[in-house]
Amino acid sequence: MFPNFRRDVSFPIVGAVILFAVLVAAGLTYQAIIGGSAERLVTAMLIDAIIVVGIQIYIGNTGILSFGHVGIGAIAGYAFAVFAIVPERKARVLPDAPFGLTDISFSPTVAVIIAIALALAVAVIAGLGLARSGAESGAVSATVITLALLFVTHEVATNWNKLTGGERAGLSFSIGTTLQGRVAIYVTLLLAIVVARLYAQSRSGRLAVAAREDNLAARAMGINPLVQQMAALLISAVIVAIGASLRVYELGTIVPNLFFFDYTMLTLVMLIVGGRNSVSGAVLGVVVITLGRELSRRLGTQGFEFFGIGLDEAPLDWVFREGLPRVFLGLAMVGFMIKRPIGLINDWELDEWLYNKFGRGSDPLPKALPEVGEMTPVKLRASDIDVKFGGFQALDGAGIEAESGQIVGVIGPNGAGKTTFVNVITGMVPPTSGTFSIDGKDVTAVPTFKLARAGLVRTFQNLRLFGGLTVRENVEVSALVAAEHRQGRVLPDVDAMVAEAGLWEHRDRRASELDYGNSRRLELARAAALAPSFLLLDEPTSGMSDTESVTMIEQVRHMAATVGAGVIVIDHDLAFITGISDTITVLDQGAVVMSGTPDEVQADPRVQAAYLGSAAIT
Amino acid sequence: MLEVSGLTTKYGAISALRDASLSVGAGEVVGLIGPNGAGKTTLLGSIAGLLEPSSGKVTFEGVDVTKASPEALLRSGMALVPEHRRIFVDMTVEENLKIGGITRSGAERSESLKEMAELFPVLRDKWDTAAGFLSGGEAQQLAIARALMSKPKLLMMDEPSLGLAPILVDLVFDLIDQLRADGRTILVVEQNATRMLQAADRAYVLRSGEFVAEGTGTELLERSDLFDTFVGG
Amino acid sequence: MTELLQNLIDGLGRGSIYALLALGIAVIFGVMHLLNFAHGELITISGYAAYAMFQADFSWYVVAPAIVLVSIAASLVIEWVAFSRVRGASDFTLLLTSFGIHFLVSSVFILYVSASKKQFPRPGWVTNTFAVGDLSIEVFDAVVIGVTLVTLLATVALLQRTMFGLALRGAAEDFDTARLMGVKSNSVIRGAFALSGFLAGIAGIFWLMRAGNTAPSAGISPMLSGVIAALIGGMGSMRGAVLGGFVLGLAEVMLRSRLPDGIAPLTDGVVFLMIALLFIFRPQGLITVARAERV
Repeated sequence: MFPNFRRDVSFPIVGAVILFAVLVAAGLTYQAIIGGSAERLVTAMLIDAIIVVGIQIYIGNTGILSFGHVGIGAIAGYAFAVFAIVPERKARVLPDAPFGLTDISFSPTVAVIIAIALALAVAVIAGLGLARSGAESGAVSATVITLALLFVTHEVATNWNKLTGGERAGLSFSIGTTLQGRVAIYVTLLLAIVVARLYAQSRSGRLAVAAREDNLAARAMGINPLVQQMAALLISAVIVAIGASLRVYELGTIVPNLFFFDYTMLTLVMLIVGGRNSVSGAVLGVVVITLGRELSRRLGTQGFEFFGIGLDEAPLDWVFREGLPRVFLGLAMVGFMIKRPIGLINDWELDEWLYNKFGRGSDPLPKALPEVGEMTPVKLRASDIDVKFGGFQALDGAGIEAESGQIVGVIGPNGAGKTTFVNVITGMVPPTSGTFSIDGKDVTAVPTFKLARAGLVRTFQNLRLFGGLTVRENVEVSALVAAEHRQGRVLPDVDAMVAEAGLWEHRDRRASELDYGNSRRLELARAAALAPSFLLLDEPTSGMSDTESVTMIEQVRHMAATVGAGVIVIDHDLAFITGISDTITVLDQGAVVMSGTPDEVQADPRVQAAYLGSAAIT
Repeated sequence: MLEVSGLTTKYGAISALRDASLSVGAGEVVGLIGPNGAGKTTLLGSIAGLLEPSSGKVTFEGVDVTKASPEALLRSGMALVPEHRRIFVDMTVEENLKIGGITRSGAERSESLKEMAELFPVLRDKWDTAAGFLSGGEAQQLAIARALMSKPKLLMMDEPSLGLAPILVDLVFDLIDQLRADGRTILVVEQNATRMLQAADRAYVLRSGEFVAEGTGTELLERSDLFDTFVGG
Repeated sequence: MTELLQNLIDGLGRGSIYALLALGIAVIFGVMHLLNFAHGELITISGYAAYAMFQADFSWYVVAPAIVLVSIAASLVIEWVAFSRVRGASDFTLLLTSFGIHFLVSSVFILYVSASKKQFPRPGWVTNTFAVGDLSIEVFDAVVIGVTLVTLLATVALLQRTMFGLALRGAAEDFDTARLMGVKSNSVIRGAFALSGFLAGIAGIFWLMRAGNTAPSAGISPMLSGVIAALIGGMGSMRGAVLGGFVLGLAEVMLRSRLPDGIAPLTDGVVFLMIALLFIFRPQGLITVARAERV
């Protein structure tokens, strides 16, 4: 579950404790300076931090903007209130509660558990909906589904008076039954930060982040993003539910607007100002925004006097008004989106920094990977593949046969149907008819991630790396998938694979910072780390000079051999393909022109015709 | 008319085009040939303002237009028939043509509409059809007609024969011949080398982002090493 | 039968306003892939402008056209101040920018006017009804439906017959290619915001006439209805947005008159839940933009 215990468990826990301590210390210091009046502010900040960290688990790891978490908070908050209010008081505020709820009351602890259960149930339903809608990083329709969740919750809270007390009255606890002391808040906050960091480092978190960076590439690496998104959603829902219960318990009341647009705005601003992709960023954002709001509130009500300065405020009268904190929030959101949408610290994490500085120890160059010897060969066979788009026949009986240990080339001029063919055998486009099997198992029209797990892993013509992840993390993602779905194969060591690709000195750089040649090599290493039976390379040398291409293909040969994979190369470059392949299939106009050895292909006049244009045939 | 010197364009870390230089004189038909992935489309995109080159210079009729936007370049007199045609499939043939002439006055536009109806009889028959229902060859003619609507001094075409059946490829090259006879200046990117070299006054050969040969169409046709350049070597 | 017909008329009245709002949202989404959560703020701003004018004793005859002008101006100013600076940014950034503006506008009114509602007079005829057979028709609904039809026809004419309309449709279909044809990106985006503001202005007149007040948070409800209607129709399809508006209006009216008493107050919630379900089963909306395959 955690690839490296020290890096992924020990340090994150230490880092989380430090983040927690800094946040609490900041609050207590402020309280000490200002005095008792700051107590509620600090308590509110700590509770906000729980909820923001909870939301970060989902938004940060999946990249999907959610308004629905505050709606989940509302559901949990109401569940908590309805079950936790003491019976005598409930008889007064909710005399006609449905389902006989007027007479049922539990201790706050049990009420929180019920709130969590309800939040989980709602999250499962919402998560299934999100999955159906094809949610991925930044998807607009996914965001609207979460918005609908928020709005429905608010409508129900406002109008189901018998259960919720409605808009005006709400549900209030009596004095004396509200939350006393901060122990529960401290414990929850610490746990929330620890869980958030551990999740991000876990297998599920890493796969979710890979999908956030590039959904298609993640699926091509055998990841099913929907499963990881659901995991992130459920964990974040639990934390938000506890945070929301505490918020209600501490305030002693809940009304519909407590968890609606204003609170959504507040929590989202806190999340994005620090950096939504980082737990440290979420905590930082909570502090910055709380301070900024408090400052603007004081300026709005007391002006410069708050600082003890007797400056002339007349020219600033139009700014120093009540309601300034809201304007501050709005400006922070719009300003950051325009100037720095990644937030103050983007995805920097305290514990990662600590680990790199103190925890890593020496990092010796790993030993070269041996090429694996003879393995039982695996066969891949696609035959009679037809694809029609409307009236257009993109593929007309195309096919290919390959065996692990071999290099098979597929060539054809631009427009020959190569791209469609690749899309079919990688599960991106279902064929209109035809069959496709790997090792005797029928894989016709199965989704991309299953094809990758079945052993066919691709690279992309225009490079699709997980740009925000480091070189090593890119390869690690594949290794995590391989460990689960490619058992029985020779699974290569991540570090050795990075070194094998010649990327050792770049191992901690972000993939997006690599130059072209290194990016290509990383893509190859990432694909090979999945221990595939077949590596499918789509135009692997496009944009490379001839000498670079030769080096590249040597590397392909070697990397494939280290994991015992066969290679299928799709390219337009005849000389390149004939130089490297054992057998070649030539495509033109969506059909197979011929298949044969490189010599046979070079000697065939039909191939020349396909390449230089129809006139050459005459 | 068009001078390109030392143009380099990158996609992220990828140099799709390295140090490209070419010139097109008034009235010339210039071909730009090379295999898939050679950087041809990148070159046209960089000239037309869709991509921003990282270094180098483009001048059009003596004016530096390296950083100009596509809309400004069209106004200065160059039009591009983009790769894959990119016609507006939700609009009728007539509307597609009208958009092509958006920078001109109403009277000029009507005039050009009539010309296009004569030049492309196929389109005249489908005047009010949504362009999405056109066949590949019809769509290509529409894309060329749409570009001509702005009465460009320089017409650029990106792979006009791509994905067309052989008979339609003939049609496209006939059209290029016809436009040449009308004295238009044309820069065509093509993969169909033989046909292109027959149709062009001059041609450049691009491979892996660099120019490897230049000459008149007939000169290049006789070069025995051309096949290797194309298919790699 | 009568009841159904009655529902139909009531639903069309309600749906007209939604259709105008949704169309404005779809126009913006088409040219810059921005789902504009700040669209409702055009009505908030118009509402305060109307309130100020009523304070100065203007009548609805003056206020109504002024609302449209204010809405167009506000739409252009918001584009200039904020959206022009995030053009081409990720969907995540675009969504949050518009949400931030929604919040900022309402905050400014809290800061400079008041957090509470401001009342203004409603025209006397808003509540009048007339009878056609067994049907009782609100004068207001009849006017709304009529004006909406005229507005939609004018918009269709603008989109179909003018060069600006062509440019806008071209840009919505393929922004880069439209630029290659000489369509100026600045002009077409500003034009889209002006059109969106105009449509919101017409919708705003009726929204405000019926409400008879405005408040800092007044934009939420029209924004949600507009967004949902645009999504029902299939985001990016202008035809779909109009249809989505009418579907939403009809659904609301039908449900409100048919749901059992206990649940009736929850109509909006039920409608939104149904929409969410629609999304789950048809993520692309009711209308799939019928594009022929690009070959």
